[in-house]
Amino acid sequence: MTPDDTESAPPVWSRARRDLAAVLWPSFLIACVATMLLFAFIDPADFGEHLPHSLWSARTAAYSAGFFFLWLISIASAALTLYMVRTSREERGGPAR
Amino acid sequence: MSTPAPHAGGESLFVAAEKIYPREIKGRFVNLRRAAVWALLGLFYVLPWIEWNGHQAVLFDLPGRKFHIFALTLWPQDFIFLSWLLIIAALSLFFVTAVAGRLWCGYACPQTVWTETFVWMERITEGRRGARMALDRGPWTPEKILRKCAKQVLWVSFALWTGMTFVGFFSSVRSLSASMMHLELGPWEVFWTLFYAFATYGNAGYLREQVCKYMCPYARFQSAMFDRDTLIITYDTERGEPRGARRRGSDQHAQNLGDCIDCRICVQACPTGIDIREGLQIECIACAACVDACDAVMDRMAYPRGLVRYSTQNALEHKTAHVIRPRIIVYGTLLALLIAGFIVAITLRTPFGLDILRDRNALYRELADGAVENVYMAKLLNKDEHAHDMLIEVHGPVPLELDPARIVAHVEGGAVANVPLRVLTRDASLATFGFEVSVRAEDDPSLKASAAARFIQPGH
Repeated sequence: MTPDDTESAPPVWSRARRDLAAVLWPSFLIACVATMLLFAFIDPADFGEHLPHSLWSARTAAYSAGFFFLWLISIASAALTLYMVRTSREERGGPAR
Repeated sequence: MSTPAPHAGGESLFVAAEKIYPREIKGRFVNLRRAAVWALLGLFYVLPWIEWNGHQAVLFDLPGRKFHIFALTLWPQDFIFLSWLLIIAALSLFFVTAVAGRLWCGYACPQTVWTETFVWMERITEGRRGARMALDRGPWTPEKILRKCAKQVLWVSFALWTGMTFVGFFSSVRSLSASMMHLELGPWEVFWTLFYAFATYGNAGYLREQVCKYMCPYARFQSAMFDRDTLIITYDTERGEPRGARRRGSDQHAQNLGDCIDCRICVQACPTGIDIREGLQIECIACAACVDACDAVMDRMAYPRGLVRYSTQNALEHKTAHVIRPRIIVYGTLLALLIAGFIVAITLRTPFGLDILRDRNALYRELADGAVENVYMAKLLNKDEHAHDMLIEVHGPVPLELDPARIVAHVEGGAVANVPLRVLTRDASLATFGFEVSVRAEDDPSLKASAAARFIQPGH
């Protein structure tokens, strides 16, 4: 309990870093939900009659590819939204923050 | 909704992310969180290893497209139940938030739970707060290298174990660890193990509470569930101010001082680096570290505890506190209804499914004796845990026969059986008509299902 104990400053993320987090993370969450929805109704094994590998790797590969595809789509959408917000008149004319 | 004040005055707000060195503290809420961490992590790492009726008790068998949760098996057709469960979970979170604030954040969120564990591993390798700060400032001595390496070894192995356990919820953990021993893991098993391990390592080792501040959506909308009667972490301004340093045992009233001795230990203890004395802030994850920190100081000063405590805005302003209020009643009633509905629906659920698919190759076949035959594939889905012998029957507007006349399909528990059905009729009065296929268990007549199908034959 020494009074001269130094305090660590609360870290402040740069704007670029905050933007990156705001684009990647929410789109990750949405991609998770979307993947669940998609593959609840679609069984990838119903497509390819001749599955290349065992069923395990075929379905798992399809789920994984589906997830990353949906994540990419959500990233694109989130990034575009962020771009629109960031380049709007009020944002540019607003107080420099 | 305050922004953290720029440190050391006048600096740019866009300073590079600095490290937080939360001060270790002891107290009631730290113990409570530690208990929660043990219980939740124990659940996570042990659950996949528990067997139930010959299968992994909790297994979200993605490749097999069925979820086992103890006696309950959910199929893709039961998607509604899973969504229902998720809605119940979300509403429970709202309910708890309205009553007790960010309890979830402080005690149960995976981010908190794993961060706590990673901080503990950092502490046993690099030492306490002061030692860690000195170590980071100091030169790269052999001791520093050793301590840093030890920490990384612990972090990485724990993260890998976490990743493997995570994948073990989706594909049998026993076969997973067996194939790991023989280095025969599939590419996707390896990929997802590493993916989750990396996420754990990064989130709990480095990002920590920055995830709550910058990435967590719940942190942003939880205040919508708050009202003046929600339990929050508060600083009792009335009692604490004016704050100031004083000699222990000196007369604070003579010096015109409140109970806050301005030791700033609450700030040092805060994992998000805020000062709770400035009021409720969005960064506060309600971990109550500052409560424990302040209570210890109050004990030393021989002041009553609770200068920083769980309280409500109404209580602080000496207004009446309401535990029962419209918000709580609405959330509570909705939650009770959803849970009751779920239990009823899952109890009444038919544990048997039947799908009839037409043979794609031929519409119909005319047999030598004048009968017309249609061929179908019956998909029998047994959601029950036990195997059943299912008797298949057909009923239509005209007399129908099955070939062979009596078909009994044996379906294993939690399995699908594909049974070819040859349906024939000698009545040509209808060119096309719908009929019903029904199945029932020979050992349990209440276990039954039916499906509609279409019969096609040459016109007149």
